Amino acid sequence: MSNIRIGVYVCWCGTNIAKMVDVKQVAEAVGNMDDVVISKDYKYMCSDPGQELIIKDIKEHKLNRVVVSACSPRIHELTFRKALENAGLNAYLFQMANIREQVSWVHVNRKEATKKAIALVRGAINRVRWHEPLEKRRVDVNPATLIIGGGIAGMSAALEIARADKQVILLEKEKELGGQLRFVNRTFPDFIPTSDFIEPMKDDVLHHPRISVLTEANLNELHGYIGNFIGHIQTGAKELKVEFGNIIVASGLKPFNPAPMENYGYGKLPNVITSLELEKMLQTGEIRQTNRKLPEKVAIIHCVGSRSSQYHEFCSSTCCMTALKYSNQVLDMLPNSQVYQLYADMRAMGKGCEELYTATSRKNVMFLMYDQEDGLPYIRKAGPKEDCNLLIEVNEKLSGERIEVPADLVVLMVGMEAHEQAKKLGQTVGISLCGNEFYIEKHPKLDPVATTTDGVYVSGSCQSPKNISDSITQAKAAAARILATINYGSVEVEVTTAHVNEDICCGCQTCVRVCPYGAISYIADDRVSRVNEVLCKGCGTCTTSCPTGAISSRHFTEKQILSQIEGVMLELMEN
Amino acid sequence: MITRVNPGLKKDLVEFGLQDWNDCFHCGNCTALCPLTRNDNLFPRKGIRLAQMGLSEKLATNVDPWLCYYCGECSDSCPRGAQPGELMMVLRRWLTATYDWTGLSRKFYTRKSWEFSAIGIIAAVIIAIFVFLLPPANDLASNPEAYLNDQGGVMINSMVTGIDSEHFMDYIHTGDLIMALIIAGFLISNILNMFLKVIINDKTVRIPFRSYFTEFWRLIFNFGTQARFSKCDNKSYWVGHLLLMTGYTILFTMIVAFLPKFQIEEITPWYNWQRILGYYATFGLMYFLIYTTIGRIRKSDQKMRFSHPSDWIFIVLLGLTTISGILVHIFRLTGLPAMTYYTYVIHLAILVPMILIEVPFSKWSHLAYRPFAIYFDHLKKAARKKAAKVQFAAA
Repeated sequence: MSNIRIGVYVCWCGTNIAKMVDVKQVAEAVGNMDDVVISKDYKYMCSDPGQELIIKDIKEHKLNRVVVSACSPRIHELTFRKALENAGLNAYLFQMANIREQVSWVHVNRKEATKKAIALVRGAINRVRWHEPLEKRRVDVNPATLIIGGGIAGMSAALEIARADKQVILLEKEKELGGQLRFVNRTFPDFIPTSDFIEPMKDDVLHHPRISVLTEANLNELHGYIGNFIGHIQTGAKELKVEFGNIIVASGLKPFNPAPMENYGYGKLPNVITSLELEKMLQTGEIRQTNRKLPEKVAIIHCVGSRSSQYHEFCSSTCCMTALKYSNQVLDMLPNSQVYQLYADMRAMGKGCEELYTATSRKNVMFLMYDQEDGLPYIRKAGPKEDCNLLIEVNEKLSGERIEVPADLVVLMVGMEAHEQAKKLGQTVGISLCGNEFYIEKHPKLDPVATTTDGVYVSGSCQSPKNISDSITQAKAAAARILATINYGSVEVEVTTAHVNEDICCGCQTCVRVCPYGAISYIADDRVSRVNEVLCKGCGTCTTSCPTGAISSRHFTEKQILSQIEGVMLELMEN
Repeated sequence: MITRVNPGLKKDLVEFGLQDWNDCFHCGNCTALCPLTRNDNLFPRKGIRLAQMGLSEKLATNVDPWLCYYCGECSDSCPRGAQPGELMMVLRRWLTATYDWTGLSRKFYTRKSWEFSAIGIIAAVIIAIFVFLLPPANDLASNPEAYLNDQGGVMINSMVTGIDSEHFMDYIHTGDLIMALIIAGFLISNILNMFLKVIINDKTVRIPFRSYFTEFWRLIFNFGTQARFSKCDNKSYWVGHLLLMTGYTILFTMIVAFLPKFQIEEITPWYNWQRILGYYATFGLMYFLIYTTIGRIRKSDQKMRFSHPSDWIFIVLLGLTTISGILVHIFRLTGLPAMTYYTYVIHLAILVPMILIEVPFSKWSHLAYRPFAIYFDHLKKAARKKAAKVQFAAA
């Protein structure tokens, strides 16, 4: 391999690397290794002048391999790959050595740290020799989109895509559209009747020529990959086979059932109701006790099943403001009543929410704080001589007093939980659940709309508890992402995939079983396994488990990895 | 022990001048700032919380509001504008009414008509006594020379028809003593009621018997110096208050105990002890009156931003009493017997209702409740200390 010409660049990262690693020594130490044409250090390799340096050297010194020794490849690998492309070199003829996270940030001895940095760079140089140019691939995108869930998120996304004149198939497992908002009377903090926007929206969706709504429908099976999915959809007795390019999962939530919580006596004590049962009363326009009398004292208990080590650890994020909304609605309907709010923490983030809290606190509402760790409120029936139905006992946190709250009606603010069919649906479309059984997004900060399966997006409360506007925001973001790929007509797919050397594959199907993306299938006719390279993420699980060594991963070949290890070990043994 | 929350207390407190109390969401800024906060006493937050929850019984055992002298730092720093200092003021009014077993205090605080009527009736009784029993001498205006002494001043005890100066003095002095006995009776019984609510009803502490004596000095000390007030950052109010308190005590003591030595026929030289003390007291009252009147009108100072009717009634009555007293003195010195007589009657017609209403039932009662609150607070502290020691020894 006489024509290999490697350029090595050691980054200071300001003082991040330079203060613990002698960057000049690193550059010098690797400068006379075989095939290394040039070895430099620079203050910020990722900066524009840093990248320019690489591009200039590639052209001047006819470099055909580049090693950058800097931060984690998770941060800047793409930056430098682009620089290579700009210089006319294939992006994969590049290797990074992480001497920041793995060296300067975690060591205290400058001499030892420098030695380790040299070892890592030598490993990278050894590896990059064996890098091969890989070509990026694109697949065409079917412009139709499947949306699972006809709630506010699903409908918003459907309209957004349909307005761009692209076909949408909207699946709803219930008889009608609308999701949970069908059971909610008004919004917070602005008290807009939900029917004001849900009904016109349903109408738009149902009558849009580009949206086909399938109610009482479920997705039975899904095949294919981004751009080219095939779904088997069950509607009534028949199963439809539909083709589409992208999927939005907007399957929504389920309200928490408080019956297992003994302290609240839900289901046993009369006049203990859930927030959704109060919504029903608000919808009919009258709030009444079970004996039809008007309640004079209404207690609202927050965080029922939420933020608890026993039930759900997470916060449902909407209940606090919903509880404030109820306070106002109850006082509007029963102006002489007294409302009690038993809360654990008042979470009033969001536009207009703190204002709602302030306004509510000036009304006939008594705010009482409890601490979940210090015992939950306990509801018992009041004696016949009392002027109330129920008594709530609780340790009030702000005063430290054990108090008793009289109530005629107790409203339990039940949190949201993942839909019971979330797991099954997740398996069908190939997306995972987190510990709370909500769907995991691709990246919590940078990509909260996509999932680890390309072409499958999540929106609304199936991903995490959300209010209306956040659900719509996420739904429209998903729609925008999909429209972008449809508009482009094709999508780029991973190139560092696995592939099977069919000559030595024994057809044991170990790889089929271990693949987390369902990318490998067994071809019975040829008695071999084959990788669908569009679905493959290049994780390498199949490569390591293949007993005959028939599978290899592009960009992670045996030769590349062993050379890298050799480079590191040689440095450590020699010096 | 479980206590029932009571939202009704809010309506009650509104009658005592409460504004938006729910604005407080217990961030604790006030507690962090208040110079009265101690490790075992989250001041003033605990009191605010008890009030918000309507735990009236707990609130009645709590002397915290009396320990606060309203420097106003809590209200200044409150991020929600909840006016914690003003709530303490409201609670002091509410506690005054709670300690008062007659129920008159509650009426006076919550119904202006009751307070005005009571003042009017007492003033009318005083005027009636003078009209029917102690009318002015017939020639008081036409022959003023007859009522002047050698120095040319009015002989103050000889202005009344048919009664010699000794008997006139007896009348006035007896009236004084009756007034003192009435307010002492009400005040002492109310303080006993306070003791019952604060000490006896608080089952969480048992006061060691010795402490009643060992802590007693605090009562006297705090009454005399208002030392706790001086802990507020702004000292000028403490100075004004101390002037008022000492001036008022001096005048009250002179009137009740030493009237025959004080209200005499001849004009004593200016350096005489009665006159020196009298001038000091008058200066104290006037200083305080001017300071608070300007403050309450300008609302510049946090503690004087909100004025309850009871605050103004107190200032107006005290102001009129002081000014009429000064006028009596001037008319006496300048030898105007008729003017002296009429201003004297007016002076008493304002002074007597002020003392009878304000001291046991209204704003002025704090002169007794504050030092007693400090005394009771220290009794409880001593009790807790002892309990902790016993526990420690047992462990």
